[in-house]
Amino acid sequence: MNEVIHELSFEEVAKKYPDFPRTVIRKIDTSLRGVILTEKALEGAKEEGAFYDVSHDLGRETHKPVLGEVFFRDGTYLLGLNCEESRLKGKPYFLDLIDGKLWLLDGENLLEEVYFAPVPAFFRKKTSRGTPMIKVISSKVPNRISINIFTYCQFFREKLPCKYCSYMANGSFSRRKDEIHTPESLEDIYETVNEILEEEGKWTNINLISGSDPRGMHQSGAYRGNSPYENEVNEYIKVLKTLQRCFATQRIPAVNRNGSPSHQTVQGSLPVNAIASAFPREQQLRLKEAGLAVYISNIEVWDKKLFEWICPGKAKYFGRQYWIDSILSAVEIFGRGNVSTQLVAGAELAEPYGFKEMDEALASNLEGVEFFARNGVYTTFCILWVDRGSVFYREKQKLPPLEYYVKLAQGINKIRKKYNLNASYSGYRGDGFHLDMDLARLAP
Amino acid sequence: MFKLPKEVVDLINDPESIKIVATADEKGNPHCAVKDFFTLLEDGNLAFAEEFEGSQTNVNLVRAIWFAKNVELTVRGKDGTTYQIKGKPYKYFYTGPLFEKFYLAAREKWGPDSELAGVWVITPEEVKNETYEVRKKEEDKKHPFFRHLDRSSVRRTKIQNSKSEISN
Repeated sequence: MNEVIHELSFEEVAKKYPDFPRTVIRKIDTSLRGVILTEKALEGAKEEGAFYDVSHDLGRETHKPVLGEVFFRDGTYLLGLNCEESRLKGKPYFLDLIDGKLWLLDGENLLEEVYFAPVPAFFRKKTSRGTPMIKVISSKVPNRISINIFTYCQFFREKLPCKYCSYMANGSFSRRKDEIHTPESLEDIYETVNEILEEEGKWTNINLISGSDPRGMHQSGAYRGNSPYENEVNEYIKVLKTLQRCFATQRIPAVNRNGSPSHQTVQGSLPVNAIASAFPREQQLRLKEAGLAVYISNIEVWDKKLFEWICPGKAKYFGRQYWIDSILSAVEIFGRGNVSTQLVAGAELAEPYGFKEMDEALASNLEGVEFFARNGVYTTFCILWVDRGSVFYREKQKLPPLEYYVKLAQGINKIRKKYNLNASYSGYRGDGFHLDMDLARLAP
Repeated sequence: MFKLPKEVVDLINDPESIKIVATADEKGNPHCAVKDFFTLLEDGNLAFAEEFEGSQTNVNLVRAIWFAKNVELTVRGKDGTTYQIKGKPYKYFYTGPLFEKFYLAAREKWGPDSELAGVWVITPEEVKNETYEVRKKEEDKKHPFFRHLDRSSVRRTKIQNSKSEISN
């Protein structure tokens, strides 16, 4: 980023964009500056059931607190909690308990009343094999269940991680002894999902997540065979088949590849999204047949050169055009509105090769968003985090200005309206990372 | 905080009274919706259940909480007693104990396949008695010349059997 640019403060941005909800601007700012809980706030979290010490489950001797989420009054997620291992911008905000109410503070100024969401009951439970359920389902947010497909990323192993990513460096709750799912770990998933569905009114969405594994049977390149990313898809299918046992979806008549009716049946859609790598068409069909409803494959950075620099693993296996083609191919299989991609907004401003001007970066991002929208793909974006363990952290990369995200969210929202696209499966209730989906709350 | 009179509270808590939420969209177009689950909270705020995330009411309420707009709640009892409460959206819950309470109530009423998006909490700012007899008295006093002259309270004598005369 060009360092001489004056960065607007929260109040300056709010004044400049009066039609943009202040709460959402504040949410962006909490992500950029981080939020620290006072001792009193922590006590409040305990009293409201929004605190869980996971150290025992993870076999750690030191305390490892997990908090329920914190929301602004309108239900918007407050971001920036657990910011101890992140590079931030300016001074952090505070959460404090004042006269029995939880407040967001900037220094000593009371800004917004906020509230805790309690941690789910399954945190305290174990499967019949004795596995803490919190290690089976990684989600702590209300509404969304997240299941790790496997616990590694091949790009990291080949020292080709996406530069903003800390997936392999940071301890995940769901690290398992076995990297891929075994019959026992699948049974743990089955038990855990059934158990958490007993918590009425809690969940609306299941995300399957993983690192990338391009190994499979590719004809060319490092991995020879028939189909790239087959290993990754195999793991998704194991989990989808396990989830079929939990939901009341019916098997439906299948259609042959040439479009004619088949005497076979396939699984009807499960309420499941996969945040996956770029799979070839034949692998996407396997996922569809196993009941996957929504396919999310993240392009991360739209600009061609920056994609190659920031996402070297994706560039190697098997390049930007391959990823784009895969995403577009998924629309034919999963349907318009059931495929999306994501930008890690702000990565494209990283030094030394990133855009030097905000407007250039915005134009590039919005070009990508419009391209995908024309082809029936919705593009969300998340705010760049520079977390310990990522290449960007080592490089001391800076976060973009607050205003950048406001302008990007506005631009994407405009394109969303123009193409009448939505991605409620990535909606504001799911995890709060997608600012454009906050704005989509005003779409009936 | 503005405190609702007991009569209004009783009406809100009466499951048989009709409750209507009025909101406005971006262009000011009004939208009214009947709501089944309404309650007064201990802190004096009102809470009601919103069934659908994408409903016009919900969208309008999001706009109202973002841009400090008012909403209006009308509650009408079996005997016609009616109150209008003006207020502002204060909170929206889709998780936590209050949401769960409403969610289970909705399940009980509408069955195991019912849906509930969230619970809105409204801070009342003003209440007005809109019961017909009460409003009539107020208007008679305020606008005596808007009254029709054939009303029994205005005319000295009343024509008997006027209806039958017309029909004859």
